[in-house]
Amino acid sequence: MSVAKAPSKAGSSKDTQWTQSVCKMCLAGCGIKVKTEEGVVTKIEGDPSNPDNYEKLCGKGNAGLMRLYDPHRVKAPMIRTNPDKGPGVDPKWKEISWDEAMDIVGKKLKAIREDDPRKLVCAVSDFQRIHLWAWPAAFGSPHYFTTVGQYCGAAYHPINGILDGSFACINDYDYCDYWIQIGCGDGFSSHLHLSGSATRMADARVKRGMKVVYVEPRMSAGAAKADEWIPILPGTDRAFVMGMIYVMVYELKKYDAEFLKTKTNAPYLIGPDGHYVRDKNTGKPLVWDEGANKARTFDDMYGDSKQFALEGKYKVEGVECRPGFEIFKEILKDNTPDKMSKVCTVPSDTIRRIAKEYVEAAKIGSTIMLDGKEYPYRPAAVNYYRGALAHIDGAIDNIAYKMLNILIGNIDVPGGHLGVPMDHRGLWVEPGPDGMIKPQPHMLHPPYPLKNPPDSYQLMEWFPLGVDAGHMSLESILEPAKFGHSYEPEAMLIYHSNPMWNMPATSLVQEVFKKMKFIIAIDVIVNESTEWADIILPDHSYLESTLMVCLEPPVVTGHALRQPAVNPLYNSRDAGDILTDIAERVGCLGNWNDILNFVLGLINRPELMLEPDKKYNHLEIMDRVAKCVYGDDKGLDWFRKHGHAVRIRTPEEVYLPYGENRIPFYFGIMLEEAEKVKKLMAETKIEWDVSAYQPLPIWRETALFTDNLDYDLFAICFKSAIVNFSESTSIPWIGEIVDKTPDNSGVWINPVTAQAKGIKDGDEIIIESAADKILGIARLTHEVHPDVLAISNAISRFAEHSGVQRRMGTHFNKLLPTGLKWTDMCTGALETTVRVKVRKA
Amino acid sequence: MPRYGMVVDLKRCVGCNACTVACKAEHGTPPGIFFTKVFEQVTGKFPIVHKKYVPNLCYHCTDAPCNKVCPTGASHSREDGIVLVDDNQCIGCRACYVACPYKNRYFLPKGHLKKGYFGGKLTPFEEKKYSKYQEGTVIKCTFCADRVDAGQKPACVVTCIAAARIFGDLDDPQSEISRLIRQRGGSQPLSDMNTEPAVYYLEG
Repeated sequence: MSVAKAPSKAGSSKDTQWTQSVCKMCLAGCGIKVKTEEGVVTKIEGDPSNPDNYEKLCGKGNAGLMRLYDPHRVKAPMIRTNPDKGPGVDPKWKEISWDEAMDIVGKKLKAIREDDPRKLVCAVSDFQRIHLWAWPAAFGSPHYFTTVGQYCGAAYHPINGILDGSFACINDYDYCDYWIQIGCGDGFSSHLHLSGSATRMADARVKRGMKVVYVEPRMSAGAAKADEWIPILPGTDRAFVMGMIYVMVYELKKYDAEFLKTKTNAPYLIGPDGHYVRDKNTGKPLVWDEGANKARTFDDMYGDSKQFALEGKYKVEGVECRPGFEIFKEILKDNTPDKMSKVCTVPSDTIRRIAKEYVEAAKIGSTIMLDGKEYPYRPAAVNYYRGALAHIDGAIDNIAYKMLNILIGNIDVPGGHLGVPMDHRGLWVEPGPDGMIKPQPHMLHPPYPLKNPPDSYQLMEWFPLGVDAGHMSLESILEPAKFGHSYEPEAMLIYHSNPMWNMPATSLVQEVFKKMKFIIAIDVIVNESTEWADIILPDHSYLESTLMVCLEPPVVTGHALRQPAVNPLYNSRDAGDILTDIAERVGCLGNWNDILNFVLGLINRPELMLEPDKKYNHLEIMDRVAKCVYGDDKGLDWFRKHGHAVRIRTPEEVYLPYGENRIPFYFGIMLEEAEKVKKLMAETKIEWDVSAYQPLPIWRETALFTDNLDYDLFAICFKSAIVNFSESTSIPWIGEIVDKTPDNSGVWINPVTAQAKGIKDGDEIIIESAADKILGIARLTHEVHPDVLAISNAISRFAEHSGVQRRMGTHFNKLLPTGLKWTDMCTGALETTVRVKVRKA
Repeated sequence: MPRYGMVVDLKRCVGCNACTVACKAEHGTPPGIFFTKVFEQVTGKFPIVHKKYVPNLCYHCTDAPCNKVCPTGASHSREDGIVLVDDNQCIGCRACYVACPYKNRYFLPKGHLKKGYFGGKLTPFEEKKYSKYQEGTVIKCTFCADRVDAGQKPACVVTCIAAARIFGDLDDPQSEISRLIRQRGGSQPLSDMNTEPAVYYLEG
């Protein structure tokens, strides 16, 4: 076996080699170096030269070599010989040749494509090869049949993009002094580049004495490390935040008024219709100038924005109007800490105290010099992720958390709340209309045009601000007429995805799988979904493959090269090449190359663009990607030698990216989009509620609090660091730790609750939602809110004919209902908290 | 000659088990054997709850009870304080295993090196790593002596994502670990046993 040539600086000798590469044990892609001894991988460590994570590497990253050597890997193309499919049914795989496999796949998919390409349903979700997400579009299939919106960022990414052209967000590890964290594990256990983030977080806490306040229903690792854990009822984080904002605005009267006046649209006058009141001549939005006591356009050269009114009621151009801030103050009247306390269960004194600590820590009005430039300095911020907004009103949730940040003027300034770009291009900042930054709700793919009936099963045509709501595909497929789909699906292609495990309402997912006449899977090992496949095509492990990986950067920017540490152990192929091959066989190679030119950015360098009908392998494509971003002298060969081009983002790049463009305080785009959707949906017979499109945060109860009230507890799921982003218990090192860790020893239930129900530690329990029920083992602990059951993702696996170990089979997703009722009608986020009742088995 | 030691900063440790897995990979230990692991300690009642993560490893004691009871001299301390077991001298009597107040030694029973993590056949990785062990002997954390001799830090220290483990020379007052112990009042595990562990915990 020959071994990939390793860069000399990694310290290789004749029999021992170190290869610089990129991790793929979660979506982040930390820098690694891989040790091989006589051709055997014996160690993986963090790449000390990569400023993303330096030498640091989490448990999953350390365990990667066990996946390489997993005997359950798919070692060659395999075809099912048992026609019966179902959970627990052995497919009786038979090995076949690549030619044979690709002939079968090619013929099946060609026939479908010629009939109607929409009859192919794809589940593709490799975040590091995000360009492969576009393959279904090349084929002509608009569907998305897995979770991205549900467990990631349906309500996260669009609002981030609207605020400041960011994809994700984080607080400033370098300068923040007071960090509120709601429903997420940044810096402790999960989310953006854990290995580097945990070091930065520990430095901030221990070296600088940064205070951390954790708001979540169960005590995670972060809450354990925090200065204060504030337990909260799931789905009510926004009520806690609205209570805090009330205290800041009405009781303390402390917020960054100058920031609101000069950097946001808070002073823009809003009419009774919710839209800006505009100057009759220029069409520009008006503000009220308190100095001159008259209305002006926001950019009137005689106006001083510091004089713009934030409060008051005015009559301008014959229209009653108020600044956006005044409208928000009106809304807030209803959100006293005492009232919000009753909703979220956090004592009102705590809400008041945290609001006071937060606004005082913000040092409103202060500045800091960095690299010779003066910036506003706001060392306080709130950070949040899925737990805080994967809810029915997820968009409103996100806007509320943004508002808590906006009010202290901390958006993209040192110490504050920072936008995280999707890739090396940085935040997407372009001037938009009315002096505002251009909203960028769509970064993963271009928006689907509004259309009736929709083409896509996930109804993207009806969610103009949404991220693919994969769970809506369930209803579309099982009841096609319901949303106007006029055809039945025939085949499914699964690549790097496990919809059977990651989607809600598992019994419905099974119905969808049963409906498929042909299932093709591309993967490294068999899982709950791929054990239903008719044909499995083996992908390389990440230790055998090559990819230009763009590091999604909380702190850094740039690409690193994944390069093989060993030659492929088995008869596998690169997934990109497999998909290109299928594209050629079904006759859509031209489309595929066109789309790749777009999604890989090759259109920026026409001479590097792929020609329509030429077949390129992934190495040729990656070489072009490298050259396109870094120049002709920095193709794959340069990266093979140097490993990466990753660097820490400069203060100039990180801070004040929006420049002279104002950012939204009043999210007017919400009403604009709501009106379009309302008009479109009036053409249908479907009742479509657009009240989720709110320009300002409000508190209101959703079905989570009004329905199924006889289910007295709330179930949530969680992930700890060793199973971050996807569980990995098929790796026995991880499985062994999971089994020894209290997090995973059962379903967390508060002892007071358990006692009332006659449940003892270790008892077998039945957890039942309105949708389904699951079995579990009770783990009595004070680390959880008395109204909550918390379930680790590490005890949820249920595959039987793969390397996956079953463990408890306590599959949380099975409890989740699906459908529009449980969906954020603005972004398509699924409600991921579910009401349940529990009893002894 | 340095006196090697480690500081474990319990304020930093996030209980992620990166150390546990890095140690598994570095030493290729068979199933059930952990030269290092992380314990959780939870106290209090809802809503006032405290959770502490406490990494655990061989403490490389200066006055090591394990060495004293070893009948063959297999268990010994190097000049730099690292406690090792010479498996060519170890007769597998397990006296050290019993004597260790921290329960940080492991006995490799007969047949144990035939057991891989995936059952059945050993992986190429396991074949390579298991070749350095002998069944019927006691094995333990070596402070990654091979790495240390090559001028590197132990695997658990390098990988720790919260930089909670710091390795260095206890005899050098200028070393980072000496400074941290002075400034933050490091405590040795079970100090009343007078074993003089070379590992100090900094409280959270």
